Amino acid sequence: MDSFFNWIDSRFGIKEPHRRFLHRRLPERITYLYCLGGVAFTLFLCLLFTGMLLSLYYVPSEQEAFQSTLRLTKEVRLGWLIRSLHKWAAHLFIVFIILHALRVIVHRAYRPPRELNWITGTLTLVVAFASGFTGYLLPWDQRAYWATEVGTSMVATVPLIGNHLLYLIRGGPDVSGVTLVRFYSLHVLWLPLIMGFLLWAHFHMVKHQGISGGL
Amino acid sequence: MDRRDFLGKIIKIFFLTLFSVLSAISLLFLYPSKIRKRKVQFFEVLKEEDLPRRGVKKVVFRYPRGEQILRMKAFIVNHNGRLFAISPVCTHLGCVVSWHRKKEQFLCPCHGGRYDIEGRVIEGPPPRPLTKLPLKIENSKAYIGLKI
Repeated sequence: MDSFFNWIDSRFGIKEPHRRFLHRRLPERITYLYCLGGVAFTLFLCLLFTGMLLSLYYVPSEQEAFQSTLRLTKEVRLGWLIRSLHKWAAHLFIVFIILHALRVIVHRAYRPPRELNWITGTLTLVVAFASGFTGYLLPWDQRAYWATEVGTSMVATVPLIGNHLLYLIRGGPDVSGVTLVRFYSLHVLWLPLIMGFLLWAHFHMVKHQGISGGL
Repeated sequence: MDRRDFLGKIIKIFFLTLFSVLSAISLLFLYPSKIRKRKVQFFEVLKEEDLPRRGVKKVVFRYPRGEQILRMKAFIVNHNGRLFAISPVCTHLGCVVSWHRKKEQFLCPCHGGRYDIEGRVIEGPPPRPLTKLPLKIENSKAYIGLKI
């Protein structure tokens, strides 16, 4: 097994840079609180994996979205498990991002030169909220529909351009099949890609600047 | 073994286990939970008096597949006092064969496969004889069975 990976790595060359990253010296004062971000990232991987599985059965159309969700939960083997994992990982993802942010605030790790890392982290939280909001519509049941109806209607309160923003988000005056497809695309394509880029930038800067020494 | 190696092993085992469990879950998830058994269903093709007394008769009948109604061709053969039905699908690459009355052979137009009146291969690329279809006569009507 090892010799197989060594054969690949002698051509691919990924072990050495990662060894430099994973085997680097850490500050003395590090505690388990520094794991909160890592937990959030693990949850993100879990979301990615379960989401990819769910997308194999989910049908993003006005007529079939609800039926396919029902089938997924009731008929597909372990479908209930995968769907629940996705749901709970999504909740915990946001919880752990917030806990991680609190740790950064308490340790004042947002100070120079780490401002940009704080910004990418905050954007990650925004994208996580957006993913949660778009994902909530996908089961296409009454709760999903009305939650989105209410949620998107808040945009209309923006002065002057409110209604235009609303049409832009819903793809029409009402929450309809168009909104569903829009949210589906955002949820499975745009937001994960943006999130992936943000996380890459986030980790790159952690590696580049080192871990803040804490208080 | 020092502490570092030991922990390294533990981590390796952890990730291997994780990988195996996730693969198992994915396979279970992907495998269809309900697989419909294909059963033989009979479709009416002819009245009993229209059955061939000698030789080959081509019949066309319809059968449902999901929402669609499909047309199917078959041959009913009466040879040496035996009555049977033959599928016209060539066993080579699935072209539809036709009956040549003078040569008394089934000919495949695609790659020159030739079968005798019983559906046995005489010449050409087909690996197997033509498939026999179940034929039954009930209430003075002839039915052909298909696995759908």
